[in-house]
Amino acid sequence: MRRTVLSSLALACTAVLAGTVPAFADASPTAEPVPATSSPAHTATPSAAPTAEASAPSAVPPRPTPSVSSVPSAEPSRPPAGGQVSVVPKGAPDTGVTAASSGSGNQGALIGGGAAAVLAAGGATVFVVRRRRATGA
Amino acid sequence: MTPLSRRTFATAALAAVLVGCGGPQAHQSAAAGSGSTPPPSSTSANAAHALRRSTPVRLRIPAIGVDTPVIRLGLAPDGSVQVPPITAHDRAGWYGHSPTPGQVGPSVILGHVTVGSYGDGVFRHLAQLHQGDRITARLENGTKAAFTVSAVRTVAKADFPADDVYGDVDRPELRLITCAGPRTGDGYRDNVIVFATLSSTSP
Repeated sequence: MRRTVLSSLALACTAVLAGTVPAFADASPTAEPVPATSSPAHTATPSAAPTAEASAPSAVPPRPTPSVSSVPSAEPSRPPAGGQVSVVPKGAPDTGVTAASSGSGNQGALIGGGAAAVLAAGGATVFVVRRRRATGA
Repeated sequence: MTPLSRRTFATAALAAVLVGCGGPQAHQSAAAGSGSTPPPSSTSANAAHALRRSTPVRLRIPAIGVDTPVIRLGLAPDGSVQVPPITAHDRAGWYGHSPTPGQVGPSVILGHVTVGSYGDGVFRHLAQLHQGDRITARLENGTKAAFTVSAVRTVAKADFPADDVYGDVDRPELRLITCAGPRTGDGYRDNVIVFATLSSTSP
């Protein structure tokens, strides 16, 4: 009877150990938040579009909206090029961050750790059961 | 070892293996369903006239299940365009030095294809758009600008067609940009660029 209780205890411990390992999967500090210097949308660029409003008969004067400078100060202060896109960015946008490569490595380590934990728990169970048999309990 | 303890041990080992295997699959949630939403009814009564400048606040692309808030982006210190933050529910971003959607000129909106460990980005399925698909941008002043996809191009980042994307045009147009292609390091080799033209507006 006591053997059964002990074995059940070992089962529970093993299950908890094995279940805990995947729970660490999200704790990997791989995500590096990009500094978000963008502010919530404000239409505060007063006359950045001279072409579109030039054709309007100016019955409505340009809105005197307060100029909330939502552009980060680190931005190079290049003069507008005069085109419809006033400042053409350099290079191509980097609109994709992968984490699968490093993530798969972490997952491999987790699987290995989980297997080791299962083996250790199994070994402990065998040891305890044999020990109890030997002592005749 | 008695038959009872042997059985118990076998059960313990089996249970542990089962529990261990079940964990990693929890994150594979299905991507947002796409294609089931019908395109928004076209407001044919409204001609596709250019709109006044007003910041975009929301972007809808029914064909790929996108309905996202839009933030404003500027330039990074190195002179490249800023990209939206890497978050769990990332948003699209409008490049603030480009015209607003509906103004004459190329309005540029960016979104991530993947956001690192968070999984798919808001523009994950952008490459699946086809000519004729609809895109709707809602502006801060309440107006809506509906665009129709005219072309979808995949280009190498090394050969990014800046003139085609940022160059002047004689009508209101929209550019949606994300990454694509094989992964290189922690990024991608290519960009997907969707070109769209204004088809209708509504107040």
